[in-house]
Amino acid sequence: MREISITGGEPLTRKKTALSNKILRELNDLKRKYDNERFSLLPALYLFQREYGWLSAEALEKVGEILGVPKTTVKSVSTFYAMFRHKPMGRHLIQLCTNVSCMIMGCERLTDILKTRYGLGPNATTHDGRFSFLVMECIGVCDIAPAMVVDTDLYGNLTEDSLIGILERYE
Amino acid sequence: MITITIDGKKISFERPVTILDAARAAGIHIPTLCHHDILKPYGGCRLCLVEVEKVPKLQTACSQYVSDGMVVRTETEKVVDARRAVLEFLLINHPLDCPHCDKAGECELQDLAAKYGPAMGRFAEGKRRYPENLEDPLIVRNRERCILCLRCVRMCDDVQGASALSVTGRGSKSYIEPFSGGAYDCEYCGNCLAVCPVGAITSRTHRHGFRPWLMEKEVETVCSYCGVGCSLVLQVRNNSVVRSVPRSGLGLNRGLLCSKGRFGYDCLNYGDRLDAPLMRRNGVLERVTWTEAINCIADRMKEIKRENGSDAIAGIVSGRCTNEDAYVFQKFFRGAIGTNNIDSVAGMAYGPAQRFFEKILVQGVTANPIQGISDSDGIFVIGGDPTAINPVLGLQVRSASKKGVPVIVVGHPGGLKRYSKRAFIMNSAAETVFLAALVDEIKRRRPLPGERPVLEEIINGFRPAPLEDASKMSGFGPNDLVDTAHALSNMSRPSIIIGRDIVQTDTGHMNLLFLAALTYLLNGRIYLLSELPNEQGVLDMGCQPDMLPSGRPLTVETFRKRCEETLGIIIPPAPGLSYAEMTEAAHEGRIKALYVMGEDMVLGLPDSNYVRGALRNIEFLVVQDRFFTETAKYADVVLPALSWAEKEGSYTNLERRIQLTRKAVEGESIEEWKVISEISKTFGLHMGYRSAADIFSEIARVSQIYRELTLEGIADGKSVWPYRGGPLRYDMHTEGTKLPDIVSVMEESGMSGVHVRREAHLFHSQNASRYSPALLSITPEPHLKIGDILADRLSVKDGDRVKVSTDAGSIVLSARRDPCLPDNVVLASTFDGGGIFEITKWRVNPITKAPASDVNGVVIDKEEAITVLHKDRADSLVGG
Ligand code: SF4
Ligand code: SF4
Ligand code: SF4
Ligand code: FES
Ligand code: FES
Repeated sequence: MREISITGGEPLTRKKTALSNKILRELNDLKRKYDNERFSLLPALYLFQREYGWLSAEALEKVGEILGVPKTTVKSVSTFYAMFRHKPMGRHLIQLCTNVSCMIMGCERLTDILKTRYGLGPNATTHDGRFSFLVMECIGVCDIAPAMVVDTDLYGNLTEDSLIGILERYE
Repeated sequence: MITITIDGKKISFERPVTILDAARAAGIHIPTLCHHDILKPYGGCRLCLVEVEKVPKLQTACSQYVSDGMVVRTETEKVVDARRAVLEFLLINHPLDCPHCDKAGECELQDLAAKYGPAMGRFAEGKRRYPENLEDPLIVRNRERCILCLRCVRMCDDVQGASALSVTGRGSKSYIEPFSGGAYDCEYCGNCLAVCPVGAITSRTHRHGFRPWLMEKEVETVCSYCGVGCSLVLQVRNNSVVRSVPRSGLGLNRGLLCSKGRFGYDCLNYGDRLDAPLMRRNGVLERVTWTEAINCIADRMKEIKRENGSDAIAGIVSGRCTNEDAYVFQKFFRGAIGTNNIDSVAGMAYGPAQRFFEKILVQGVTANPIQGISDSDGIFVIGGDPTAINPVLGLQVRSASKKGVPVIVVGHPGGLKRYSKRAFIMNSAAETVFLAALVDEIKRRRPLPGERPVLEEIINGFRPAPLEDASKMSGFGPNDLVDTAHALSNMSRPSIIIGRDIVQTDTGHMNLLFLAALTYLLNGRIYLLSELPNEQGVLDMGCQPDMLPSGRPLTVETFRKRCEETLGIIIPPAPGLSYAEMTEAAHEGRIKALYVMGEDMVLGLPDSNYVRGALRNIEFLVVQDRFFTETAKYADVVLPALSWAEKEGSYTNLERRIQLTRKAVEGESIEEWKVISEISKTFGLHMGYRSAADIFSEIARVSQIYRELTLEGIADGKSVWPYRGGPLRYDMHTEGTKLPDIVSVMEESGMSGVHVRREAHLFHSQNASRYSPALLSITPEPHLKIGDILADRLSVKDGDRVKVSTDAGSIVLSARRDPCLPDNVVLASTFDGGGIFEITKWRVNPITKAPASDVNGVVIDKEEAITVLHKDRADSLVGG
């Protein structure tokens, strides 16, 4: 069985503070795409999360301000969805599936490695800020279980060794 | 016609209603939780389930509409089972800590559990635990008790329009919170806590101190904070007001209140209320008896009258006085003292504006029902933020805007920010030029109606500034101006909402003219914002230097004579001095004695130092107030006053609705009118009133406007202009209205520096709010709103201290950045010790006689050192 990987879109870049012109441009494009500003709320939140890794209170406020949606509404929507993160994340985010198929295929060994090798438990971040680890429910690729997503890259048919190898690529 | 059968009863309706409303009409009670009459149908809690024949599933009565032939059953076994199940689900997490919940006794969940049971669920797991959130000074949130009916969120979003609350999280882990998760950052209307069916959002003002079943009485009255005049119910125990609440069926506010009406009642229980007369002896104010105080006033006033003549004496009333107090006050001044030197705070902006519009348009032109705002097809706001000055009126603007009605604001949009299509912030001279340009543009688009030749002559005759110049001066592009004129021209019945800051400026008279022209051209309805509950009333009562209590000018001999006959007094034929003129006269030593009822001149008038100087020059100053105000410090005699909840009377609101204010508690003083009639007796003028109703019946006899009204008769709150009198007929003079000279406004304005404008504050209203610990806890100190560009230039962050200086002095305020503001306008509130009036220069507009509330050419610096602004008020209490 071979490790399968699908590399996602843009890599995550973290630790930005000011709004880049690029994201502002993207936001404005979004706004133009829908005639109701609320429709662009979810994509806008994704955009911010992609850019900053998580959604801070300031980010929520900013999204609201730009879209003209009350910040309370933005917070309500973003906290409803499990895939939005509301606390700071490490440079790279490991989302490991522990649902049925992956459990049968031995995801426990993988979480053990995260614990022993990186001192990383679920919902935590390594001290050096390199990795954060979130437990995922089925990510929809049971055929290549056990699977995980690192940042925006998907990996399947994981073994202890391949896991370590993959993670070494993320600094 | 729709006919349905509910529990065997047949009932018909013209239009489709919800099953819930249908059941109510049939006298059948269906339990509800998420439903609230003020809110739209929601269907979230499933408690109102009913059985509808031929429909397999139970239906929610609150959101399901009836259709012809429908057969509904509301209390079948299936229904009762379902309700019990819903309740059981709710009780899985609800803590049932009724013994120490403030809602107990009026909690809807408690009542329902008592009726349908069971008191406990079968759910074995533990309940959700969250600590009670006490981070906010006024509102406590208890997430454990919340049943997620979303009434609060819907109230805040759909009705209040503040959108300050929302649900965080999902499923059983969701809870209600403001954005910060802790303290609120909102309008503090408290409407959310009013609709919460359980004890999940409660008020701290009566925390653990309010038990509905221990309440002794409920008194229906009217709020005394602003000119809207919301109805409210004061709940009383041990002669003290423990809570103020609205009622959904009561008054024009229909179940809503603003922060002042809801929380501001605690100024009634303020610790340092005056409770005995004070008299200055050897420079110190000492407690004296009422007789001593009254004799002293009588002696000194007589002496001054003898030596300096009647016109050396003047009187000022507050817009918080009742009609009865105001009426007796002017009668005393005219009949006993013999002067027309009577005016009020309404004489500064509200009065002149109304008078001008009535003169040039028609009598009663400002008497428009507040509820009409949301039905207009356009809204133009200028001179103040209605959501701060008259908050419940402001809700009407928001509600119109939600329906798609265009709202255009000249000035800071404040609470209308999300609700206005356009907002134009600029300095006051530019506003005049801008208005002129608008009128000019509109007259090209709309034909002149041909009804008022004098006004049309002006509209046709004045020369506006060239569009480019007007746009340059205002800081907006020519297209903005043209587009706005175009948008306005498309309105057929707009509401024109006018605040006092457009009047209290050097070009105030021109602004009024252009606003009259705008109203005329657009067929608009004028609403004059009113910061005090009875500005209209004190004007109607004749607390004006040139108007009689009959609502007519005293210079017309027949009117004066008729009034003299009815009252049995002699009224001097010459008009007296206005509020601003009195202040000037006092400064120059021409006013020797001044009687101030309920007004804090030092804080209420621009240029506090000038006012202090005027007060110092007065030989004999009487101040009648509830509190030891800044003005009282200069008094020779201080008389304690009753608050509006401690006496009976009436208020006339800004739509000219007369409403009854009832006595809820006993105060430690005597009604103002009683005190004045005692003083009057020593002058030989016996008034002989026994009650407020007595006075009111005299008012109804003398006043053409209040003709045939009685105090009991107005109790239903339905007495609105023109009452029974019909409009008055007297000549509409327009002479003296000159063509406004826009060119000279542009040349002379010298408005190149930074311009400070007054910010009317949502949580404050002249002096009363300064004695409300609750309102002070929201905003304990004044601030300066400063635009981003200017703030960046000065490297000022939120909360930094900034020094604002003019020739008149300087103040230190805490800065708040505001992205709406341009770099040449800043806003400052008027506030105890340090508001904008400390640094405004005394300037009175010769035509409107209004003192200017703005100031140009200020210097703003960042302050490095922290300055303590709030002096301890108690320290300043002298004697007593
Ligand atoms: S107090 Fe008023 S503005 Fe504040 S959250 Fe409640 S409803 Fe909204
Ligand atoms: S706080 Fe009160 S009104 Fe708001 S959802 Fe909870 S129970 Fe309903
Ligand atoms: S809007 Fe005015 S009258 Fe109504 S509650 Fe608020 S302050 Fe009182
Ligand atoms: S269970 Fe892990 S991908 Fe489906
Ligand atoms: S009252 Fe009908 S669903 Fe809540």
